[in-house]
Amino acid sequence: MSQGVAHVAGKERLSLPSMFSLLSACLAVVCLFSLLFGAGEIGPLDSLLILLGKLDGTTAQYAEEAVFVVQELRLPRTLIGLVVGMALGVAGALLQAVARNPLAEPGLLGVSAGSAFAVAVALMLGASAATLRVSVAQLGALAGCLCVLAAARMRGVGNDPVRLVLAGAVLSGLLGALTSMILLVDQRTADEIRFWIVGSLAGRRIEDLHAILPSMALGGVVTVLIARPLAALALGERVAVGLGHHPQLVRLLVIGVVAILVGATTAVAGPIAFIGLVVPFAARALAGPDIRRTLWLCLPLGPLVVISADIVSRLVVQPSELPLGVLTALIGAPVLILVVRSQRLPTL
Amino acid sequence: MLSYRSAGRPWLGMLIGLGLCALTVGHASARTLSTAYGDVEVVDLPERVVTLYEGALDTALAAGVTPLAAVSTRGGDGVASYLQARVEDIAIVGTSREINIESVVAQRPDVILAAPRLPEEQYRLLSRIAPTLVPASEPYQPDTWKEEARFFGQALGRETRIDEVISRVEQRAAVLSEQHSQESASLVRWMPQGALVMSEAIFSNVLLAASGFDVNDGDVVKQGRPHSDPLSLENLARIDSDWLFLATLNEEGEQALASAKSSPAFARLDVVKRDQVVPVDGQLWTSATGPLAAEAILDDIEEALR
Repeated sequence: MSQGVAHVAGKERLSLPSMFSLLSACLAVVCLFSLLFGAGEIGPLDSLLILLGKLDGTTAQYAEEAVFVVQELRLPRTLIGLVVGMALGVAGALLQAVARNPLAEPGLLGVSAGSAFAVAVALMLGASAATLRVSVAQLGALAGCLCVLAAARMRGVGNDPVRLVLAGAVLSGLLGALTSMILLVDQRTADEIRFWIVGSLAGRRIEDLHAILPSMALGGVVTVLIARPLAALALGERVAVGLGHHPQLVRLLVIGVVAILVGATTAVAGPIAFIGLVVPFAARALAGPDIRRTLWLCLPLGPLVVISADIVSRLVVQPSELPLGVLTALIGAPVLILVVRSQRLPTL
Repeated sequence: MLSYRSAGRPWLGMLIGLGLCALTVGHASARTLSTAYGDVEVVDLPERVVTLYEGALDTALAAGVTPLAAVSTRGGDGVASYLQARVEDIAIVGTSREINIESVVAQRPDVILAAPRLPEEQYRLLSRIAPTLVPASEPYQPDTWKEEARFFGQALGRETRIDEVISRVEQRAAVLSEQHSQESASLVRWMPQGALVMSEAIFSNVLLAASGFDVNDGDVVKQGRPHSDPLSLENLARIDSDWLFLATLNEEGEQALASAKSSPAFARLDVVKRDQVVPVDGQLWTSATGPLAAEAILDDIEEALR
């Protein structure tokens, strides 16, 4: 079946491997730019010379500053952007496939709301945005996801992806309301959470990335395992059962993976809106509806959008930076509209 | 006269006061203040005072008047912690952004001391409850806090007392500035993605300047954004002054300093290596104004210099 799709697609589109390499090349260029441009005084030329190890003709102090900016500030955020982008893109694609709804978004599963709530509670209990640990947000995300899973396991609900998304939406609404309540009652929390709630790659340390790598690896492995059954599920419940898969189990696994991936990204970078919605959309427009093809394209596309947005966020309001969460939406929206207007979109 | 006042009709009290004034020349029972919303008459030595501005609460306490009610401090549920011991059972009638009009009515105030630039809509409501005094001071000038303090002092009929307090603050700052050579200082709040730099024009920075510091806001705070602006981690060197005052909104100052130090960009600043970073209470340093706040901030500066 997938070969058929590829065949049909091949007449009007590039083949999957060439599209993947093209996007990866774009991503490599964007990553390089991410190392070259910043809100500070270290310009692209000097940064390039540092990368080549050939910066001279400047004072030792400037050289040291420049090396620090490139290696300790721009490199970590580029790497984190890479991982966060991949995770959000893949999570979005998985969720849209299992919910059979192109508007499903990781936020809908109660994952983002769960971590936002956990952070609000932690702040209320006396933590400050500057001292907050990655684990708090990740625990919140997992708790939120477990609630949705519990709802999804209820009799009859598991067979209906729409009810699953509904359960997630209800939980998101509930947690959002609880968070708002905390913020209204506790002024200090409201004042602190604004540093976290918009999402940002700035000031994240490479150790934060280490903390979430196990979750990412786990998510990656499970994704590889369930890609084929998920593609079968797209053909219908009965076909999937006929092919020897267990739709219920696949759905549970997908939700678990999405929660792990989104929880980990939220923990390290805060809630970053829109990526999980836009990236799978664009990937599907390029590769067709087969989840196995979409997932491949999500890998370079997600970081491409995240890192581009991050570069812009550094350049528009120097010497300050805009929060990334604001820019992903600003960049994502026109991209999405372009994609939607230019092609007939495959349905799920 | 008291009974009239408690009936919520201060103008009657004022009329009688004016009559008395005509009889006993020199002892005015009512006075006229020029406010942002024109001339307003208030009773002399008002007793039931409600403050809707942190600077007004501070000034009233400095003048020896304990207000009945106040608004909560920025980022807190009660009044700022440096004032808490003085007004343990004060009523809270909202936040500086949102005033609960009904609670204000319930206090039956003689006079309401409000924040500069109180919206006209709110002014109309409040001035029906009691004479509402909005200072006409120009914001974010070096002398703004003194102007406001004198205005509120006048409103309470205790201007001499306030003048004394202000000159005491001026003297202390002058003494402090002689204790050290002219050094640069920056005031920031820390967040993981960078620093929030406080403008040169805010109250605590004005006091730092008076105490002999060159306040350095790294040219970050733009015109028209008078309070604070974020600074990218890449540009932290701009606030690498001789002293760095680190404001936190809760009392875990040392902990906030430790977490800021965990950021390599912060830890490599010279000021951090020299250990000249001073964690300070954000409620006091970035939100409060008034003579008592000035004293408390000077206490902190003195402590840091010691």
